[in-house]
Amino acid sequence: MSLFSFMGTLELGLIYGLVAIGVYLTFRILDFPDLTVDGSFTLGAAVTATLIVMGVNVFLATLIGTLAAACAGLVTAWLNLRFNILHLLASILTMTALYTINLRVMGKPNVALIMEPTILTPFEGLFGLPDMYMRVIFVAVCAVVGGLLVAWFLRTQYGLAMRAVGSNKRMAQANGIVVKQKVYAGLALSNGLVGLAGALFAQTNGFADSTMGIGTIVVGLAAVIIGQSLFASRSMYVIVLSCIVGSVLYRLAVSLALNADFIGFSASDLNLITAVLVALALIFPKLRNEWKAKQAARNEA
Amino acid sequence: MISCEGLHVTFNRGLPTEKLAIRGIDLTIPMGEFVTVIGSNGAGKSTLLNTIAGDIKSTKGKILFGDRDVTKLPATGRTADIARVFQDPLAGTCGDLTVEENMALAYGRGQRGRLSSALNSKMRNIFREQLSRLNLGLENRLESQMGLLSGGQRQSVSLLMSALQPSSILLLDEHTAALDPKTAALIMDITSQIITEKQLTVMMVTHSMRQALDHGSRTIMLHEGKIIFDLSGTERAGYEVKDLLNLFAQAKNDGEELDDDKLLLGA
Repeated sequence: MSLFSFMGTLELGLIYGLVAIGVYLTFRILDFPDLTVDGSFTLGAAVTATLIVMGVNVFLATLIGTLAAACAGLVTAWLNLRFNILHLLASILTMTALYTINLRVMGKPNVALIMEPTILTPFEGLFGLPDMYMRVIFVAVCAVVGGLLVAWFLRTQYGLAMRAVGSNKRMAQANGIVVKQKVYAGLALSNGLVGLAGALFAQTNGFADSTMGIGTIVVGLAAVIIGQSLFASRSMYVIVLSCIVGSVLYRLAVSLALNADFIGFSASDLNLITAVLVALALIFPKLRNEWKAKQAARNEA
Repeated sequence: MISCEGLHVTFNRGLPTEKLAIRGIDLTIPMGEFVTVIGSNGAGKSTLLNTIAGDIKSTKGKILFGDRDVTKLPATGRTADIARVFQDPLAGTCGDLTVEENMALAYGRGQRGRLSSALNSKMRNIFREQLSRLNLGLENRLESQMGLLSGGQRQSVSLLMSALQPSSILLLDEHTAALDPKTAALIMDITSQIITEKQLTVMMVTHSMRQALDHGSRTIMLHEGKIIFDLSGTERAGYEVKDLLNLFAQAKNDGEELDDDKLLLGA
């Protein structure tokens, strides 16, 4: 793998680290499997790209893209909480609707940002760093700052209440926690992070495309699972940062698999590789525990 | 003080599966009174408690705390007044969170969720001090995951949690039923301590006639959503478990034939 493609992989892994944190919030914290992210990733990208082409300030465009994605999360939460639609189904409905909405937002299947200013433009040539490194540093700062903020949030009274809602609704309610409010907030935050990742992706890669969000949920879950099987910790900071590390490792593994000539994978094999990687990450901790139990039994004998 | 006026609760109203769970309950519990609630399965004991807590909406009638009408208030709006301990030891705590995090949730009961740190050293000291009352060594396990504790330990922590914030009403729904006799006795002991200490108004649902007579100052029995008798004072003091059973059989015989509920209600 060349240095250039390594840096590209790192960049992608860090951006999807934000997706992983969003997925962690819904799947693990709220126990609300949310597939909206496939649509909200694209929505964040589409809104931001369209606004930038219209001449809106890049930071404002990114903010609006993020907020739009957060609203998508609110729609899913509303369908589930107000009408009792199963969470998985509610999120699939929103995701499906978003496909059309994204096309409407862009007015065409994709928007190019090649000649437009992006969120990276103000940092170009800073400290005389080559573009390649500057981009990685920029997205790393975004992902880590985002992660630290989420970890801090989860340790506050409000964040703890959100974790209680995901763990035991009845207990949460008996302790005066308004369950619905926490679910709304959690889904908005999760999808906002995913939308921010989409907005960053569009600006670092120079385009937004109506199909770019397909499979976002699987990639996010893969990152969460890889991260958590490597770092077993109860510290919120470690858990959230392990999502980012998991995302980078996932990208590196995929990139290695695709680049290893002797295996003979091509780019179209990506989905199989992803599935195998996630399966391995799920199987590994279980096998490790079984092996440890066997060792212990042998030592006793 | 809790008052229920003409309280009715109907489940699945208007559907073929309609069930009249509470059929007109008038009950006034003065401040500081400890009422034990007995009755067979399906009599409406838990429904009554859950309706007072706000988990279940009443279909008719009023609920008042003092002179404040709380009939329309959802469960979360009543938590400043009410503390609860459930029958299922797993229901009162979050297994995924640590002991101190669970206690912090209860410590913040009735407050708005704020963006300040959920835990601090002042709280930890309070939690440690409270946990040491149990003599279970839990004061050294603040950072243990709740899910790793035994059912009895979890129920003990739930009980302490219910008393972390000042409240006036304590609702106990068969909170010792799932425990072994020794742990149940310990829990009942701490319950009595807390009730005396904080001068709480208490409703305790129990299936044990013995427990119902030994604790509190008043006993009510529910049957098919109605209060069939209400014992207190010197009359109650002379009662034994067998008298209670007789009374129950009589009350039931007035309306219908006796069935096997006697078995369920044995001491």
